[in-house]
Amino acid sequence: MQNKLQRHRYLLALVPFALIVLVFELVPLCTVVLRSFLPEGQFGFTLAHYADIFSKKLYRDAVLNSVLIALFSSIIGIVLAFFGAGAACRAGAGTRRVFMSVLNMTSNFAGIPLAFAYIILLGGSGVLVLLGKQLGVAALAGYNVYSFSGLLLIYVYFQVPVATILLIPSFDALHKEWRESVSLLGGGSVVYWLRVGIPVLLPSLLGTLSILFSNAIAAYATAYALLGGNFSLLPIRISEQFAGDVVQHKEFGSALAVVLMLLMVAAAAINAHILKKNTKEGL
Amino acid sequence: MAYIEFEQITKSFGASKVLQGIDLAVQKGQMITLLGPSGCGKSTLLRCLAGLESVDGGRILLDGEDITQKSAKSRNIGMVFQQYSLFPNMTAAENIAFGLTLQKRPGAEVRTMVAEAIEMVELGGKEDALPRQLSGGQQQRVALARSLVLRPKVLLLDEPLSAIDAKLRKSLQLRIKEIQRTLGITCIFVTHDQDEALMMSDVIHLFHDGRIEQSGKPIELYTGPRTRFAAEFIGNYNLLEPETFAALTGTQGAQAIAIRPEAIDIVTEAPAHDDQFYVLPAVAESYIPHGNVLRYTLYVGDVKLHADVLFRSFKVFREHQPVFLVVEKRNCLPVGDSPA
Amino acid sequence: MQSHKKSAGPVVVIALFLAYLLLPLLLTFLYSAFTQWTELLPQGFTLRYYAEAFADTAFLISVLRTVAISILPVLISILAMLLVMYVVVVYHPGWEGVVQVLCTIPYALQGIILAISVLSLYSGLPLPFSNRILMLTGTYCVLVLPYVYRGIRNSLNTIRADRLIEAAELLGAGKLQAYLRVIVPNLRSGITVSALLGMAVLFGDFVVVNIIGGSYYETAQMHLYKILFRSGQLSSAVIVVLFAVTLLISGAVFYQTGKGKRS
Repeated sequence: MQNKLQRHRYLLALVPFALIVLVFELVPLCTVVLRSFLPEGQFGFTLAHYADIFSKKLYRDAVLNSVLIALFSSIIGIVLAFFGAGAACRAGAGTRRVFMSVLNMTSNFAGIPLAFAYIILLGGSGVLVLLGKQLGVAALAGYNVYSFSGLLLIYVYFQVPVATILLIPSFDALHKEWRESVSLLGGGSVVYWLRVGIPVLLPSLLGTLSILFSNAIAAYATAYALLGGNFSLLPIRISEQFAGDVVQHKEFGSALAVVLMLLMVAAAAINAHILKKNTKEGL
Repeated sequence: MAYIEFEQITKSFGASKVLQGIDLAVQKGQMITLLGPSGCGKSTLLRCLAGLESVDGGRILLDGEDITQKSAKSRNIGMVFQQYSLFPNMTAAENIAFGLTLQKRPGAEVRTMVAEAIEMVELGGKEDALPRQLSGGQQQRVALARSLVLRPKVLLLDEPLSAIDAKLRKSLQLRIKEIQRTLGITCIFVTHDQDEALMMSDVIHLFHDGRIEQSGKPIELYTGPRTRFAAEFIGNYNLLEPETFAALTGTQGAQAIAIRPEAIDIVTEAPAHDDQFYVLPAVAESYIPHGNVLRYTLYVGDVKLHADVLFRSFKVFREHQPVFLVVEKRNCLPVGDSPA
Repeated sequence: MQSHKKSAGPVVVIALFLAYLLLPLLLTFLYSAFTQWTELLPQGFTLRYYAEAFADTAFLISVLRTVAISILPVLISILAMLLVMYVVVVYHPGWEGVVQVLCTIPYALQGIILAISVLSLYSGLPLPFSNRILMLTGTYCVLVLPYVYRGIRNSLNTIRADRLIEAAELLGAGKLQAYLRVIVPNLRSGITVSALLGMAVLFGDFVVVNIIGGSYYETAQMHLYKILFRSGQLSSAVIVVLFAVTLLISGAVFYQTGKGKRS
């Protein structure tokens, strides 16, 4: 008996990690899920919170806005990153190094500082707005950055470096010989990308898209700084449920959080599905 | 009583039976080789002896003691791996000294023993080099010294020279053999390279699908394979089915026949009849130079045979030249399908 | 002949990217260094906003608080990860999958969900659970787990930890000895990268500290939010300072990983 205990003594090394993960990751997450089914302040089972989310305009808008902004910013971001990564792989070593440095640097520029930078750029007396007024460009002069489109612009800005950095290794893995074979067989750029390049890159593209979507839909600081509570977004509405010290809507907030998690899982699942369908047919 | 004894060792990984009842004895001071293709279980047996894998059934005895349940660190067995596995953060000297420092020996003693070990593997001057600053061959010698300095009861070598280029391999093979003889240490060597096995071992055990197919001294194994697999693996035997051989020579047996290429003489005129020999009319087709030997491909009818001829003169048989093949009857070895 | 055409293309694209990415940074810097910007070009170069920022004790203390709350969680996570990896590498390689999943969840779910899940569970409970600093530290430990895991796991893979353990055991080392004397010394670069990445992440965090810390623990990012609409130039100066620190940390990561690749 003693020997068995002694032999398993090494398991003690798991304790710190287990403690951290249990106390601050697993138990709280499970609690959130469970609590979302609890009626406010009582014990029981209810789907009322979920019903409220989809029946009340305030929260329906939050879900919709979050999904839309995550979707658009991710798609635009990945398209831009596609060209950026392609350029990085074709560029010379020096240019590429500079590009990578700037990408890494600007991927740290997010949250409140980024929102503020865009206010400087496009706010009421922003630089581009002033320029628009001077040159008489109505679109710029009258632009309101405190809007969906303003937020979208900012979200795209922080998606692009992340996406590019994630895509570059996959672009590197595209063999020069494939491109050469395609042209020897009579195909041009478009043919190459449509029939060889993009199919090969598909897993990486979808994976990155998934990450971008999660990033955007759960983003908090930028939206908070730019719009506060004036624009309905899931993360902001969620934090509002827990804001007060006295009045907290823990159950409802939990339901909102579960919806957010489900959206992220759904995005990942759709990606995996598309990937499976394509790899079965093509390769 | 053998120094090392494996008794009915069985081992499976999941559904695949890697070792199927191995019985093997190793005498003290011998260098024996486990030879076989990849995946036949030879490395697994070695790792079981070292204590890095557990056995599912059977016993392992070392110097009379049952070590089957002992942990790797207390078996006093040294091992050299294909990938060297030197500790990257330590110099060559520190790597070699590692086992000694664990034994808490006094510093002066450690230094002396390390210096001796370095000299034995001829790495003088490289004591303070880090592994990444050493070539493959040098790293392997450090690995060797690291194990030997602890005077283990047995030294195991798991394909140690496979990652080293061919030319260096030869000199390292000789050096290992020399060290083994000098120290009188019992060695088990694992390789898939039959030339290496033939050159280095006192005894070879040929592995096939988790079983020992044939064991014997190198010469015995080379000149006397007993099974089809052995004949195909060792040397470059010509393997003829019983019917084919019967058609060529008139002798019908039940088993396939294996003939060594160097046992076939090629002559331009048919010799006088002799009961000891078969004489077969053939056509020379092509040859490949192979070191100091010309390897001929010849056809007796539509049966392809290989014959090796020492490259003694400039005389070479032309393509489509009709010749006669002379083979001693006793060099036509019957081989079974499975070990007896 | 196609490659000649191509060599101009990528540079143009990259140049456009650089302009797009650097513009907001440049603007923020300019905004912090000039008194007026009502015309097209800014006027009145001055560094007085930087002086103001550094003279502001509230700001300095908030930075100190940020540093303090960033160091401990990183150290705890690294220590916990080294211990877990001891068990996984030496005894149960099969448990790697579980560890990986547990360390990827925080990366997937991100700050908002982690923050509210911890807050909602523990804020109603008696002390010590409802202590905000404790909650914050714990949540930060979880937040940096993905980065710490990646850094250490990559290092372990590079040195082929499993093989080294075998070699050490055959030379007479016990399992713990082997781990401490052979594996851990070779993880130095992985640990450094983990620490720096973790600190960079925590330094820039707003969501977790805003939700859990609230008014109890004002870090640099929260201080920035407070003064954001008070004075544009001051905020810009603060942003530049904070960004410079983050750059230093990530620069160190870049350098360290480059060093690893070169050796």
